[in-house]
Amino acid sequence: MFRISLTLCCREIGKRFASTLSGEGGLPSNLRLAPNLVEFSRTERPPAAGSGLPVLRQCEVEIPSHLTARQAWLESLRGYEDEQLGLVDLHPDVFAVPPRLDILHEVAIWQKNFKRISHAKVKTRAEVRGGGRKPWQQKGSGRARHGSIRSPLWRGGGVAHGPRGPTSYYYMLPMRVRVMGLKVALSAKLAQDYLHIVDSLEMPTPDSQYILDLARHRHWGDSVLIVDVKEDLPENILKATEDLKTINVMPAIGLNVHSMLKHETLVLTLDAVSFLEKKLLWHDCRYSPLYPFKLPYSDLP
Amino acid sequence: MAGVGYLGLRNAIKCLKRARSTASLQHYSASAAAAPHYPGIVESTDEFRFVERLIPPSRVPEPPKHQQYPTPSGWTPPSAEPPPLPYTVRRSRMHNIPVYTDITHGNRKMTVIRKISGDIWALEQEVKSYLTQLTGKCPPTQVNEVTMSIRVKGYYDTELKAWLTEKGF
Repeated sequence: MFRISLTLCCREIGKRFASTLSGEGGLPSNLRLAPNLVEFSRTERPPAAGSGLPVLRQCEVEIPSHLTARQAWLESLRGYEDEQLGLVDLHPDVFAVPPRLDILHEVAIWQKNFKRISHAKVKTRAEVRGGGRKPWQQKGSGRARHGSIRSPLWRGGGVAHGPRGPTSYYYMLPMRVRVMGLKVALSAKLAQDYLHIVDSLEMPTPDSQYILDLARHRHWGDSVLIVDVKEDLPENILKATEDLKTINVMPAIGLNVHSMLKHETLVLTLDAVSFLEKKLLWHDCRYSPLYPFKLPYSDLP
Repeated sequence: MAGVGYLGLRNAIKCLKRARSTASLQHYSASAAAAPHYPGIVESTDEFRFVERLIPPSRVPEPPKHQQYPTPSGWTPPSAEPPPLPYTVRRSRMHNIPVYTDITHGNRKMTVIRKISGDIWALEQEVKSYLTQLTGKCPPTQVNEVTMSIRVKGYYDTELKAWLTEKGF
C-alpha cells in the first residue's frame, strides 16, 4: 500500500516536472495526462523474462541469485519505426532499487545549493560612513540618549543582523548517498516507462525537426535527455539538438539527478548503460578509501 | 606514518607515469669509448611490476572456499540457493549478516536488522515469535518501510545473526 502510494507519488512528480517544460498551456497540470499516456494503447510491453526473445545485451556484472534482470526494448534513432529491435538486460541493483524519494530529494537539493554563494552584504554601524561622535550630551538635552548617529535605531544607520558578505552554502553529501540518488532516479525512470535504450546515436539527417517528430511519434514526452558515453558524438545529433531547448545530449559522466528529473524521457545508449552499471555497482562492493580515489588503485572501474 | 607511506607511493606513481610517457631514450652505442662487452644503457619498464604489486585493490574480495563451515572465526557463507521465504536479507559488503546493536541515552539498547527486501512484515512477525520463544516476552519492534530495516528493543544480535545464518541468508 505504501509502495503503491510511492509509485503514484513518483508519477505525480513526473507530471509536475513535465508541466514546467510543456509547450501547450491550456488545461491545468492536475487535469492533464502525461503525453506518453494519452491516445496510446500500451500493447507493446517488454515480455516477461525467459520468453525466448533474443536478449541482445547481457549484464556484464553478475546479478545476485535472488534477483532477476529487468528488461527493456532496444530502439534506434535511424528510422521512425525502429522501436523493438530486441531485448536488453538491465542490472536490478541499478535499475530496480526501492524508490527512495527522500534520497532523491536530498540529492536534488544538494545539487541546487552546494554551488550557491550569496553575495548579499549590508553595512553594520561600524561600516556606515560617519557616526563616530556622540550627537548630543548624555544628560540635560531632554532627548533620548544616543552614542552615534549610525546605530541600528537611527534612520540611515547600519543594519544590526543583516547578511554579512559572500556566504557559501557548500556541503557534500556522502559519496554513496549521491550514487544511491542516481540509482533511484534511473529506477524511477524505468518504472514509469520514461527510459529508452538506443543502440547508438547515429541519425540519418542533422535536422532538428526529424528528432522532434521522432520523439512525438514514439510518445517520448515533452523533453528528452540523450546520454552517451563518449564526448565526441556523431555530428548529426549534435547539430540537430544544438538549437533545441527541450532535447539535450549529454556525456554519461555528466548524468545527474536534476537533469533526469527536469527532462521527461531519458534515452541511454548501450555503452552508456554498461558504463553506468560498472561505475554505480562498484560502490556496492568497494572498501572505504585508503587514499583519495583520484589516485590510482589496481582495480578502479 | 601512513601519510609518509602514501606520499612515497604517490611519488613512485608519478615516476611511473613520467617514465611511461617519455619518448624512448637514445641508446648509447657500444662503440662510444667503452669495452666491447659493455651492453650500453637499456631502457626497461619491467621493474615497475614491483611498484604495481604494491598498489592496493579497491574492491572487497570474494571469500575463498573453505573445507569446513563455520570457519574458525565463526563465519558461514550464505546458501547457494536463496531460501524460499517471502523476504531476503542481503549480506553486507564484507559478507556479514547485517544485524547491528545500537544504544541511545546510555541505556536504551536496540538491535537493528538492515538490508531487508521483500515482505518485511512477515520477517517482523517471525522475529517476534522467535524472540518470544527465546526470552518468554514479546519485544517491541519497529519496522521502517522506507529504509527497509527492523529495530528491536534489547541486545539480540548474536541470536538473530545465528538465526538468520541458519535460514540461509
